[in-house]
Amino acid sequence: MFASIPSSIVLGVDGRPVTVEVHVTAGVPSLTLVGLPDASCREARDRVRAAITAAGLTFPLKRITINLAPSLLRKAGSGLDLAIAVGVLVADGFIPPEAVDGLAFLGELGLDGTLRPIPGIVPLVDAVVSDAVVVPHVNAADAALVDRCKVRSVGSLLELVGALLGDAPWPDPPPVHRPLPVVSAHDLADVRGQPVARRALEVAAAGGHHLLMVGPPGSGKTMLATRLPGLLPDLDPVTSMAATRVHSAAGEDLPGGLVRRPPMLAPHHTASMASMVGGGTDVLRPGAVSMAHGGVLFLDELAEFPPTVLDALRQPLEEGRIRVHRSQFHVELPARVQLIAAMNPCPCGEAGRPGRCSCPQGLLARYRRRLSGPLLDRFDLRIEVLRPEVEELLGGTGGEATSVVAARVHEARQRAAERGVRCNADLAGTLLDRWAPLAPDAHDLLGTALRTGRLSGRGLDRVRRVALTLADLAGDEGPLRSGRVAVALQLRSDALSSIGGGA
Amino acid sequence: MNDDPDRPGDPEPSLHASDRETSALVALATIPDVGAATMLRCHRGPGAPAALEALAAGNIESIPALDRGLRRRDRDAQATVRAAAVAAARSADPDRLLADHRRAGRRVVVADRVGYPPRLARFPSPPPVVFLAGDERPLLGPTVAIIGTRNATRAGREFAAVLGRDLTAAGVSVVSGLALGIDGAAHRGALDALDADDADDADGPEATRAPRSGPVGVIASGLDIAYPRAHQDLHGRVLARGLLVSETPLGVRPLPWRFPARNRIIARLADAVVVVESRRTGGSMTTVALAQAIGIDVLAVPGHPLAPASAGTNDLIFDGGAPVRDATDVLVAIGVDPPRPRPAASELVGPTRRPTVPADLLGDAGRAIVEALALGPASLAEVIGRSGLEMDEVAVEMVGLVERELVVETAGWFELAGRGLAAVRGGRTS
Repeated sequence: MFASIPSSIVLGVDGRPVTVEVHVTAGVPSLTLVGLPDASCREARDRVRAAITAAGLTFPLKRITINLAPSLLRKAGSGLDLAIAVGVLVADGFIPPEAVDGLAFLGELGLDGTLRPIPGIVPLVDAVVSDAVVVPHVNAADAALVDRCKVRSVGSLLELVGALLGDAPWPDPPPVHRPLPVVSAHDLADVRGQPVARRALEVAAAGGHHLLMVGPPGSGKTMLATRLPGLLPDLDPVTSMAATRVHSAAGEDLPGGLVRRPPMLAPHHTASMASMVGGGTDVLRPGAVSMAHGGVLFLDELAEFPPTVLDALRQPLEEGRIRVHRSQFHVELPARVQLIAAMNPCPCGEAGRPGRCSCPQGLLARYRRRLSGPLLDRFDLRIEVLRPEVEELLGGTGGEATSVVAARVHEARQRAAERGVRCNADLAGTLLDRWAPLAPDAHDLLGTALRTGRLSGRGLDRVRRVALTLADLAGDEGPLRSGRVAVALQLRSDALSSIGGGA
Repeated sequence: MNDDPDRPGDPEPSLHASDRETSALVALATIPDVGAATMLRCHRGPGAPAALEALAAGNIESIPALDRGLRRRDRDAQATVRAAAVAAARSADPDRLLADHRRAGRRVVVADRVGYPPRLARFPSPPPVVFLAGDERPLLGPTVAIIGTRNATRAGREFAAVLGRDLTAAGVSVVSGLALGIDGAAHRGALDALDADDADDADGPEATRAPRSGPVGVIASGLDIAYPRAHQDLHGRVLARGLLVSETPLGVRPLPWRFPARNRIIARLADAVVVVESRRTGGSMTTVALAQAIGIDVLAVPGHPLAPASAGTNDLIFDGGAPVRDATDVLVAIGVDPPRPRPAASELVGPTRRPTVPADLLGDAGRAIVEALALGPASLAEVIGRSGLEMDEVAVEMVGLVERELVVETAGWFELAGRGLAAVRGGRTS
């Protein structure tokens, strides 16, 4: 007899529906498993056999063929165990087909018949084609985050069979303990002084602009970077779901349920290409860029990252996603991030200050050449962050708190939404004339900057976007004025151009 | 013969240097570990050719100067050093070395002989052999050394250039080391004055012009090596319009230990030494010590008391060095009449070509920023902090200040340009 049981697997960070087809017929007892199962998937035959026996049921001594459709898709992991077991029992006639109608099954089986949790439950549940799904108890809470499906959970194969046959009711789902959302400990009010950096953070948050901080060690660049996520608004539902899928697929716990706050990841500069953009051969693990989807990617010591790794960021920064190609499949991973980077301008720690920095010109030039022009160009905001003065640290006025600034950021984002974009950084260059027209004084100012070489043609659009964000934050109406453009220029310092050395 | 190396050179030598002794000295100069004192002793004693022969023969003890100069406390080190010197002496070809120099147009002069610059001869321990390229006339007139830190501020470099320009226009030769920072700036200013003179000449003779005097560059490498690489063009221009001096033969690289030797020549060639910017320690202060040791006047340009680049120069003034506010102060110090005013029609290149900005045209915000920068180069955040203005005010005001060339922005750092400094002081510019 034949059974067809819906289930799913994870590919990348998305689930793909899988149908477990079981065919049982008379003949020499055998069990053939086809459909490109990987090693752990192939072991299902032993687990399923043991689990069925442990549940007190008979494993059919017949010729059993199991196909994991679609057959061209590689099946990895042990999550199909439950569907296989159910398929065998249905095909053998023990469970009537109507009992499993409209149900999908996910979970790993232990040899004693218990149902074990599996990673990636959110994308898995998101992908099943049925209206209802059966999952292990531990996965129930996360499975419920997916609105589409009704979730049932059981603790063992025996429990499941009992519920399916109507002998026993479905077990109650375990109580969900979701801890209260933690108020982030990173408040902007903790930053002393640093007026330029605070302003830059606000602008970065409001407009989605990438930010580069240049400064010596100990100047507080990391502290500043960690304040950015707190200023950002909650994730919209689509992004939230995408981020939740990524985290679930990566095997992370979701203690707070859906990922609602923008995540922040700070990969170390020794991180490999795979850990940054995703990799792995059979199982594709999302990289840091995907884990930070919808949030912030913080690259400390930017110049220390291998150029190949930095170059790999190009596609995510341009398109908001990463395409990974393997011989068996291509997969697209979400990777829309806001970039914050920090770097030392020079080894002596004086940041190239004329009259103080003692680094020879050749060394400085070589240091700065490590970053490619196109990469540097992506940073709309480039500021210098210096060590705070002693008075600032000990007695300086505390600045505005995160909540205050976040409110302004929220308002600014509303205004961007009226233009049809999520944030100003997404505004296409062709739309700038419409949404960010220049007042005559601003026009002149930009003209001077272009003439003196302070600004390049490519930088022109970026400065306009930042000026627009500044105008949004201030609540300006009408064309951009020179004041906003002047500040935008200052926030995009040419700190990394070569320092003039000659007389 | 008195072979005391500390004796000053013969101010009016009657002896001509023979090719034999000249070439021998050049050869000795290429040998590592044979220093100036040793060479001078040999030259004033048995003579350089004898010393070179003895060295090549391995007979170091026969020449006391060599024996002394090549002695080391550690036996093994001494053996190594002596072996290397002997090998170098053996492989040296004095005649070819001298021919190479002559073919390249480099003059080789020897202490106590005709042709040796009197300025170098007048002090104890004259450099035994000196290489020259270019025009020696600048050494005949008044000279002033302009020196300072490699890590100079923009204002410092601008001042050095203006000083170099004005002194040259007044007929004084500028002596410097062709290093980055102050040295290079001083020579660029000097060259600009000469170029302007040429331009004037093209218009017709001017009665009020002071006689020309070319720049003098003293370098630590062989005359064929331009160091630092960024100053390659400057090296060429100084050679074309003035004089290059070195104590090292062609092809020798500027190793760090050669710089004090070069500084001592700078000090000896000058009638006065002007330090434009310097920390408390550094090459410039070494030159100052060397100058003071031989009784040459040292003057210094004052700077803001808190500016690190002016710490050394301010100390010098405190200790009695004369302050330099402009070229006139220097001219007075060396006893040269300040030049008559140039006619308005002839323009000099330089930052004061345009009219200066009266301080009161700055406005409160502008003035606050300019004063904040008087302390030294600053980042945007520092300007905001020091001036007490809001970031937006600073950003807007800065645009105007940069446009009027009062402030310069490089790589995210703001500095006062020369005119900006003048605005702070209230109007006194060169």
